[in-house]
Amino acid sequence: MPTTTSSSASSSSSVSCNNRQADVFSRLASSDPEVKLKALREVKNQIIGNRTKKLSFLKLGAIPAIASVLADADDSDKCNNILVQSAAAIGSFACGFEAGVQAVLDAGVFPHLLRLLTNPDEKVVDAGARSLRMIFQSNQAPKYDFLQEKNMEFLFSLLNSENENVSGLGASIIAHACGTSVEQRVLCEAGVLEKLVILLDGSLSQREACLESLATVLKNNPEAVSDFVGLESGRYFNSVTELTKDRYPRTRLLSCLCLVVIYNTSPSYFINMGTKSSLITTLLELLNDPGQSGDDAALGLSCLIAEKEDLQQLAYEADAIKNIVDILRTGSELQPRRLQGLFLSLAELCSKLEDCRCSFLSLQVLDLLTNALRHKDADVRAAACICFRNAARSVKSLSAGRFNSDHVMLPLVQLLHDPSSSVQVAVLGALSNIVLDFSSPKSSFIEYGGIKQLIELSKSMDPNARCSALRALRNLMFLADNKRKELFCSDVKAQGFACLISDPEPPVQEQALALLRNLVDGCISSIEFVFDEDGLILDTVGRQLRKAPQAQMAIQGMYVLTNVASGTELHKEAVMQQLFPQAKAGSENFMLKFLQSDESQLRSATVWTIINLISPSSPGAFDRHVKLRNAGIIPQLKNMVNDACLDVKIRIRTVLGQSMSFGDNY
Amino acid sequence: MSLFRIFINQLEEDDEDMATSKKMITREEWEKKLNAVKLRKEDMNTLVMNFLVTEGYVEAAEKFQRESGTKPEIDLATITDRMAVKKAVQNGNVEDAIEKVNDLNPEILDTNPELFFHLQQQRLIELIRQGKTEEALEFAQEELAPRGEENQAFLEELEKTVALLVFDDASTCPVKELLDLSHRLKTASEVNAAILTSQSHEKDPKLPSLLKMLIWAQNQLDEKAVYPHIIDLSTGKLEDPSE
Repeated sequence: MPTTTSSSASSSSSVSCNNRQADVFSRLASSDPEVKLKALREVKNQIIGNRTKKLSFLKLGAIPAIASVLADADDSDKCNNILVQSAAAIGSFACGFEAGVQAVLDAGVFPHLLRLLTNPDEKVVDAGARSLRMIFQSNQAPKYDFLQEKNMEFLFSLLNSENENVSGLGASIIAHACGTSVEQRVLCEAGVLEKLVILLDGSLSQREACLESLATVLKNNPEAVSDFVGLESGRYFNSVTELTKDRYPRTRLLSCLCLVVIYNTSPSYFINMGTKSSLITTLLELLNDPGQSGDDAALGLSCLIAEKEDLQQLAYEADAIKNIVDILRTGSELQPRRLQGLFLSLAELCSKLEDCRCSFLSLQVLDLLTNALRHKDADVRAAACICFRNAARSVKSLSAGRFNSDHVMLPLVQLLHDPSSSVQVAVLGALSNIVLDFSSPKSSFIEYGGIKQLIELSKSMDPNARCSALRALRNLMFLADNKRKELFCSDVKAQGFACLISDPEPPVQEQALALLRNLVDGCISSIEFVFDEDGLILDTVGRQLRKAPQAQMAIQGMYVLTNVASGTELHKEAVMQQLFPQAKAGSENFMLKFLQSDESQLRSATVWTIINLISPSSPGAFDRHVKLRNAGIIPQLKNMVNDACLDVKIRIRTVLGQSMSFGDNY
Repeated sequence: MSLFRIFINQLEEDDEDMATSKKMITREEWEKKLNAVKLRKEDMNTLVMNFLVTEGYVEAAEKFQRESGTKPEIDLATITDRMAVKKAVQNGNVEDAIEKVNDLNPEILDTNPELFFHLQQQRLIELIRQGKTEEALEFAQEELAPRGEENQAFLEELEKTVALLVFDDASTCPVKELLDLSHRLKTASEVNAAILTSQSHEKDPKLPSLLKMLIWAQNQLDEKAVYPHIIDLSTGKLEDPSE
C-alpha cells in the first residue's frame, strides 16, 4: 500500500469517522422519529459483520443509547420500525461478540426485548427473537430458572410458536441454559422432548436449534435418552442418524454431536457396528470444514473415542491418524479450539493401542508436537502434552530413544514453569513416561536441571501437580544408579520428604512412598537416606502404615520396608522397631491386617518384608522370628499356605521354609 | 433420469458379445424408445417453477402459478426482496445491497464473514472503477484492513484488490478480472445463495443438475453404443449417429 498519501488520508478519515460516529448519538436522541430511525439504521448497517465497528461503537456508549431508544418506544404501530431497527442493532452487538453481550445485558435491555415477543407485528417479533437468541448463545447468557413454573410456561409458549425465530429461541434457551440433571429431568417431565423433535422436521435453523438442545437435555442422562429413543418407536432417533448425512455441514456436525452424547450416555443403542463406523467417518470428514463446524468436530471426535478401545480401533482403521496429521500440517493457522480438539483426538487414539502410537510416531510428528508446546493458548499446550504422554506409552519408541533428544526435551522442561497449572500437570504426565527411557545412560532431562524443577513442583499448592511431580520423580529413580539418586537426595531434606509422605492427599502419599521405594532399592548405601535426621523418614513411614491407610499406599509402604530390610542387621532392626513400636504394645499389628487384605499385592509385599527380616544368613534372624511368631504373624502365614494368588503362595512357602530352619514345625 | 437407466439396462440385456462391439441404434429405433418413456406433466411444471423461483423471476413465477396451477415452494414475496438485493449488486450499488440484506435478515452478514468480506471488496472495486482513489484508500484502510488482520485469506484477496490502484492502466494489471462486470455477478450470486440458505431453500435449481446428468449419461453410453446424441442442450435436437 502507498505510504505517505495514506497516512494523511487515514488520519483525516479516522477523524471524520469519529465525527460521524459522535454525530449519530445526537441523532439517536432526537425527538423526531424519522431522524432517530435513520440513525438506528446507520449504526446497524455499520456494525453488522464488522467486529471492529462493534467495538468502537461500544466504546462510545452506543448500546445504552440504543437501549433507551428501545425502552422509550411504545408498542403503537408507528413505532414498529424503531422497535425493529433498535432490536436488530442490539442483536448484532450481541452476535458472536462477548463484550457486546455483556454491554447489552448491563444496559438492562433484556426485559424490553422480551416484551417484543408479544407484539402483533411479525417483523417486531422476529427482531426481538433473533436478538434474544444471540444473547442466549453466549456464555454470559442470564441464568434461566427452569424450576420456576412460570418460566416453564413461557419456554413452552416459545416452543409452541409458529414463528421459527421464536421456537428457535426456545430451543436455544434450553441448549445454552440447561445445566444440571435436575433441570434436565424437569424439562423432560414437562414434555420438552416431544416439543423439540417437531422442530426436526422444520426449517434449517429450527433443525439445528433442536439438535443442539437435544444434546444438552440428553447429556449424561440415561432416562432422558431412553425417553427420546422411545419416542414413536425410535423414529426421531433415526431422523437424527439420517441427519448425519445432511447436505449442510453444521447440521451433520450437530447431529453427530447429539449421537456422541447418546453414545456416551447409553452405548447400548448403538449395537450396529455400521452406525459407529459412519459416525466416526462423518466426524473425520467434518474435520476438514474450515469454519466453526470443523473446530467442534475435532472436540466431538475426542469426546467420542475417549476411553473406548473399540472406537479407537475403528477410527484407526478409518485412517484417522493420517487425516489429522495432514490437517495439522496444512500451512494455514488453525483456531486454538480446533488444535486442542485435534491433539486430544490423537492423544485418545494413542492412549491404548500400540499400533496407533507406532503409526503416529512414524509420521515424523515430533516437530508438530513441539511447536504446539509453544502455542499461546494454554489448552493447546496441555493437549499437546497429553498427546506426548500417550505416545510415550510405546515402550518400543521409548527404547528407540525417540524422545530423548534436546529438541523434544527442552520445550517440555520449559513447560514445567508454565503459568497454567493444567499445563504443568499435563507436562508432568508426559515427562513421567518419557523419563522411562533406558536407551541411553545420559538423560537430557536431567541435564536440563529437570530434577530440581520436579522437586520444586512437588511442593506446589496444587495437589495434582504435587502428585504428578512425584510420579515423574518415581519413574526417574526407577533402577537409577547412585549418581542419579544423589542428585535428588542432595536437594531434599528429610523433613520435606517426610511431609510428602504424610501429605493430606492420599494419592500424593502413595507417589511419595513409591518414590522412596525406588530410592532405597538397589545397593545398600541407598538405604541410608531413610535414616537421615534421626530416622525421620523411616519413622514417618511407620507412622503412616499404622494409620490404617488405603491399600495402594500400604503396598508402597511395605515395599519400602522390604527394601530397607534387605540391608544390614541395623537396617533390619530398625524395620522391626517400626513394626513393633514400644508404645503400641496392645494394639493389633498392622501386618496382620495387611496379610488379610483382599489386595494380593499387599499380601505379597508384606510377606516379602518378613522374608527379608528372617533371612537366615543374618545373626538376629532367630530373635526376629521369635517376635514375629509371638505376634501371631507366622501362624497367620501358616493359614495362608493355599493363598489364591500364586505369587503370595510361593513367598509364603519361602517364609515357612525359613521358619522350619529355625526349628519351627508346621 | 429413468430414460437413460432404461436404455443402459436394455443394452446390458441384449447381445452377449457386447464386450467387443458397440451396438448401433438408428434414429428410428431411438425415437421409438424415447416415446415409450412416460413423464408426468406435474414433474415438469415443478422443475420450471423451481427454476423460476431459484433464479428469482418473480413475475414469471406468479404468472406460471396462475396459468398452470403449480404451487411455488416458497413465498413469492420473499423472492422480490432477494431479487432487489441481487439487482443492486449487479448494478454496482453494493452499499444499498448490504442495507437490503440487513433488512431482510440481519444474521446473514453477521454470521457469514466470507460473504461480508466479498461484499466490502466489491464496494472497494466499485470505488476504484469510479476513479475515486482517495476514497477507495480510506475505505480499504477503515473497513477492509481489519478484516485482513483477522484472516490470512482475506488479507491476500485485499492485497490483490488494492493492486488495482497501483496500475494507471487497468488493462495491464494482472488482477484486472476483478474489474469485470462478471465479478459483480459472482458476488451477486454469492449473496443470492446465502439468502436462499437462510430461508432453508436450496440454492441451486434442479434443471442444471438434470442437464449435467444427461451429458454424463451420454458419455457413459458412448462406450457401449452408437446412437443419436443431443448436442445442443438449448434445442434438444437429436443429431444422427453417422454425423
